[in-house]
Amino acid sequence: MSEETVTVSDSADTEINAAIQKKIGWGFWLAISWVIFITLLAILAPYLNLKDPRGYFIDIDGNGRPPYSPSFEHWFGTDKDARDIFSRSLHGARISLIVGFSAISFGFIVGGSLGIIAGYFRGWLDKVISFTFIILLSFPSLVLAIMLTALLNRSLFTISMILGILSIAPVGRLARASTLQFSDREFVLAARQIGASDSRIILRELLPNVVIPMSALALLGMAVAIVAEGGLAFLGLSVSQGITWGSLIQIGSDSATTLENAPWIAFFPILLLFLTVLSLNFAGDRLRSHLDVKESSL
Amino acid sequence: MKFWMQRVAMAILLLLSVSALTFGAMNVLGDPLFNILGPLAGDVNNPKSAALIEEVKVKYDLDKPLPVRYVKWLGDFATGDMGVQFSTDGQPPVSGLIKERIPRTISLLVMAQLLAVMISIPWAAITAARAGKRSDKISTMNSFFLLAMPNFALAILLKYIFSLKLGWFPLTYKAIDPFFQQMRQMFLAAVTIALPAAAVYQRLLRTDLITTLQQDFILMARAKGLSRSRVIFRHAIRPSMFSFITVVGLNTGGLIGGSIVVETVFRIPGIGSSLVESVLREDFPVVLAIVMLIALAFVIINVLVDVLYSIIDPRVRR
Repeated sequence: MSEETVTVSDSADTEINAAIQKKIGWGFWLAISWVIFITLLAILAPYLNLKDPRGYFIDIDGNGRPPYSPSFEHWFGTDKDARDIFSRSLHGARISLIVGFSAISFGFIVGGSLGIIAGYFRGWLDKVISFTFIILLSFPSLVLAIMLTALLNRSLFTISMILGILSIAPVGRLARASTLQFSDREFVLAARQIGASDSRIILRELLPNVVIPMSALALLGMAVAIVAEGGLAFLGLSVSQGITWGSLIQIGSDSATTLENAPWIAFFPILLLFLTVLSLNFAGDRLRSHLDVKESSL
Repeated sequence: MKFWMQRVAMAILLLLSVSALTFGAMNVLGDPLFNILGPLAGDVNNPKSAALIEEVKVKYDLDKPLPVRYVKWLGDFATGDMGVQFSTDGQPPVSGLIKERIPRTISLLVMAQLLAVMISIPWAAITAARAGKRSDKISTMNSFFLLAMPNFALAILLKYIFSLKLGWFPLTYKAIDPFFQQMRQMFLAAVTIALPAAAVYQRLLRTDLITTLQQDFILMARAKGLSRSRVIFRHAIRPSMFSFITVVGLNTGGLIGGSIVVETVFRIPGIGSSLVESVLREDFPVVLAIVMLIALAFVIINVLVDVLYSIIDPRVRR
């Protein structure tokens, strides 16, 4: 948006910056607040005096048989075993968010370093790493995830790792592309001229320039990982015995009668999942246009 | 010519790596012997089960080294022999199961892709004509909402509204029903896959249309007195379709992943739901065959789109 106007003058420049600053706007902060809010709730869930997520609250005084619809007693209602959906949804956020966060962190650490190494050293190293990325990208990601969950035991750690492996290639490709761009720039040449070592150039010159514009991708990638974990849990292939949003949704929709008579069982976890993914997507999108990373390279 | 050779060589190399990786993962991380025999596989001290283990090892070539098994498996796979299902004592063979199920997945994907294209073109045309106005902004917001809805959640929502509450679509898929009945049973599943895809296509086509609409020949057509809708649909759409077609093509592979979840929600016995079932039953030959087929389709589609793209636009060959 600013390509033609940047050259005009300093005052116009600051005006544009102000406009961009303004443009990131309240929507971004609202989205971020929701993410922080739900994260805090998830962290604090065990200390919030919630009902036991694995407890059965069968009402003997004659409310009939569970599932109970939302009430003052059970804010989000209960499932057909009379377990409290509100408490389970907040506890479910724990696994979903932990997996989402650790997956994208793993993707950034491994994919980011591979991408920077490939883009900086080029040559055969670049060829090998790029081909690895292509191989990883030639499975639809859910298929690769399902295959790996079939082979490994499904713990919180392995599920995070599996989804982390899936995010290596997209992160790595972007890191490689922007490293290629930056490693020809003057400041890198200057650093090399005064005798800086490769590792110093990568850590001090390239890393900040490559990683900060990718922060938008971190938000988007976290959303993707959360959705993927939800999908796996929904198929019964995520953390075994764990309460996650996906498995809660699965419980609420596994039979047509449950879904028809007690839609709240599936719908409240769906709502939380939807709001979280929407917030991450929206914040990521805003941040991306704010940092002006080219869309084609994402 | 060199361009094509390179493309084909790359595709073959990719397929070999993908298949080796899949096969290796299945055999190194998994334990095929255990999957065939169950707990008996660990019972080596008992002479009776030790004999059985030997027999199974020879029968399924488990006594040979991994590369040898890989080559043999690859040869079998290429000739259509995908092994036997562990969970059903071998009948029907994996290829029989896949042959029965693959047409359903393909028709689901074709229907989804057609719907997505049919939704996205008018949607893009309308929003491009009103770019920046309120209806355009509402549409952008809508596609944000659509893309933030995970496909299993969208599937449940659609199922709840249109099957359970309104009763417009049947709840179950029956393999014996006639073709059009089946299409109706698959419709909601196709819509679930199509809606987010349509949102992606619309974004892209809208951007390209806006660029086209600023060109002189559009102004000329308007000055001639043609109506706005005629200008968009007869003059502007065609030159704007370029990247749209590419993305629709490339996305076909991506939709396969979505069909896994959607088939499970709508209980369509296709290849995706079969993958999930066989993972839960630890039936590895089926998992291996399906993952391979999907990766195969994915790679081939990408190469085809690449080639088509270079036919339409020869510049990319250089």
